[in-house]
Amino acid sequence: MLETKDLTKRFKSKTAVNQLNLYLEKGESVGLLGPNGAGKSTTISMIATLLPPSSGKVRFNNEDAWKNPQGLRQVLGVVPQEIALYEELSAYENMKFFGKVYGLKGKQLESRIEEVLELIGLTERKKDAVKTYSGGMKRRINIGVTLLHEPEILIMDEPTVGIDPQSRNYILDMIRELNRSRGITVLYTSHYMEEVEKLCDRVYIMDHGEIIASGTNDELKSILSNEETIHITVQTHSLSFEEKLSQLPAVTQASEEEQGYKVIASKGENLLEDIFELSRQTQTKITGVSLQTPSLEDVFLHLTGRTLRD
Amino acid sequence: MWTVFKLQWIRLFKQPTLLITFLGMTLVFVYFMAGAQGEQTITVPTFSETLSQEEQSDWLDRLNEEETFEFIESDYETVYEDIRMNERAFALGLEEDRYQFLIGREDMEISTLIQYVNQIYSEEQRLEQVRQDFGTENIDVSNYIQVETTGRTEAASSNEIYRMAVVVGMSLYFSVYSILYLMTNLVEEKQTGTWQRLIFSPLTKTRIYTGQLLHYMLAGILQIFLALLILHYLVGIEFGTNYMEMSVLIICFVFAIVSLGMLLMGLVGSPQQLQVVIPIVATSMAMLGGAFWPLEVVSNQILLFLAELMPIKYGIQGMMGAVLQDRSLSQLLEPIGALVLMGIIFMGIGINLMERVSENQSI
Repeated sequence: MLETKDLTKRFKSKTAVNQLNLYLEKGESVGLLGPNGAGKSTTISMIATLLPPSSGKVRFNNEDAWKNPQGLRQVLGVVPQEIALYEELSAYENMKFFGKVYGLKGKQLESRIEEVLELIGLTERKKDAVKTYSGGMKRRINIGVTLLHEPEILIMDEPTVGIDPQSRNYILDMIRELNRSRGITVLYTSHYMEEVEKLCDRVYIMDHGEIIASGTNDELKSILSNEETIHITVQTHSLSFEEKLSQLPAVTQASEEEQGYKVIASKGENLLEDIFELSRQTQTKITGVSLQTPSLEDVFLHLTGRTLRD
Repeated sequence: MWTVFKLQWIRLFKQPTLLITFLGMTLVFVYFMAGAQGEQTITVPTFSETLSQEEQSDWLDRLNEEETFEFIESDYETVYEDIRMNERAFALGLEEDRYQFLIGREDMEISTLIQYVNQIYSEEQRLEQVRQDFGTENIDVSNYIQVETTGRTEAASSNEIYRMAVVVGMSLYFSVYSILYLMTNLVEEKQTGTWQRLIFSPLTKTRIYTGQLLHYMLAGILQIFLALLILHYLVGIEFGTNYMEMSVLIICFVFAIVSLGMLLMGLVGSPQQLQVVIPIVATSMAMLGGAFWPLEVVSNQILLFLAELMPIKYGIQGMMGAVLQDRSLSQLLEPIGALVLMGIIFMGIGINLMERVSENQSI
């Protein structure tokens, strides 16, 4: 349905996106996972025909989308990272304006506004100025405005940034609902791996403008099938403990966490004994140890040596 | 296009403070700069070392027939001291068949005053000549002979010229502020992402730009018209009957300023930077273009050359011509043409710059 072929964007000497290839099938929910600055927003700006690529192609239904941007734009809904609304206007006024821009009018426009307000749970507050809304409500109306013209493809650029967990869950459930029961194709970018794991059928992991891995959640996690993650909780952090941990032969990655260390190591090795020995040597008091199945975050760490939030 | 145009008006009505503030400032500045001046007559101290008290008094009566200037009796020592101490700019010395001026400093009224006194002396000399030629010393020939004094009306209306210059200058100056500040919305929209939302929509860029720019133009025109209407009906300032000429000039001026705004938006990327740049541009343009003082008092060739590049210069020049000199559209082609030309050039460069910036902006 929608694919990119060797998509590249250069800003003067910096290459923001390099030879990127991805595809979306109809009704799919695809995640674009990567840390800040990985090139996710640039990628979706090119896919959405906002930013012309330096080279490469965006194909929609096997046609070059940049040759006829209006064809793609008509079926595309883009939820930007910022609250792209007129904050002095009410939710209703914003929706009415953007609905008209998409050619909706009269009763059809009114009924779509009511429907979307119901979906995003803002019917009661529709007459209030957007500037008086909470962060979560602003995020919801930001998505709602995009849904007015019933897009077939929804591109969402980190739509849950900076909101409370309750609002985030509301939004994630809403997106899942749109994807599963209404068949809307979703391209979801985020640096929160839990969101991508929860929502997406397939995931592209991006770093420094390139796709470094792709596949379903399970396929990606199988990269770490020979490894396990161990969380060590310590009373106080110790640099020498961390250094020695990473020098252990079975350890692939060792990184500091808020309350201790995260270790990715080969499965089947009897690592715990070595860890406790190191704690004695470096006089680091261990208060807890836990084993965990790998997450996409671990996959990213494994592939780049950094965490998604670095 | 009309959806975008209407939306901008809804936004303006929700937050009208900007337009009201600059409209209010136009009225306040006009009132203080021109309102008070308009009522004033210019006092001219006079002295004479040759005329008798009675002759001097006759001359004062004759000179005071016009209300623009008030000639008062004084003596040479007093006026000399006043001028030396910079308390007065000038004084008039009366003699039987000639006059002299003592001038201490440049003053915009001097040339008008000289012209006026010269006219009065010329009239008197002609009448005196008639009396001598026909031996009618005992008859007041001025009752029978009308001496044409061309240029007199012009001389007598110097206050009106000054007043009108302030009215037009301030109205245009503050409209520049309103238009440019309103136009920062465009840059803000690009920053908040509403512009990108519009780009994703089926609307073409031409329609989006046209809707926005029409709104800024109409808001600017509205402000100038409101200011002139209020000044006419509440302050009693007369603008003559050249409504069409004035309207065309206002539209062309506002077009040039909206285009200048596009150029600024293209050059300066962020609304924060624009907040700093706009007052600098508006005020320096008004200073160079003659909104604060008449260009006649400027002698520096560089400043005069820069004035030629300022849209406000042509706005003021055209409006003054339409109101005070009753000029028709064909006689106003120079300022109109200059404004339109500037508008086209600024707009062309501005849109190109803005689009170049957009090409490097993602969501």
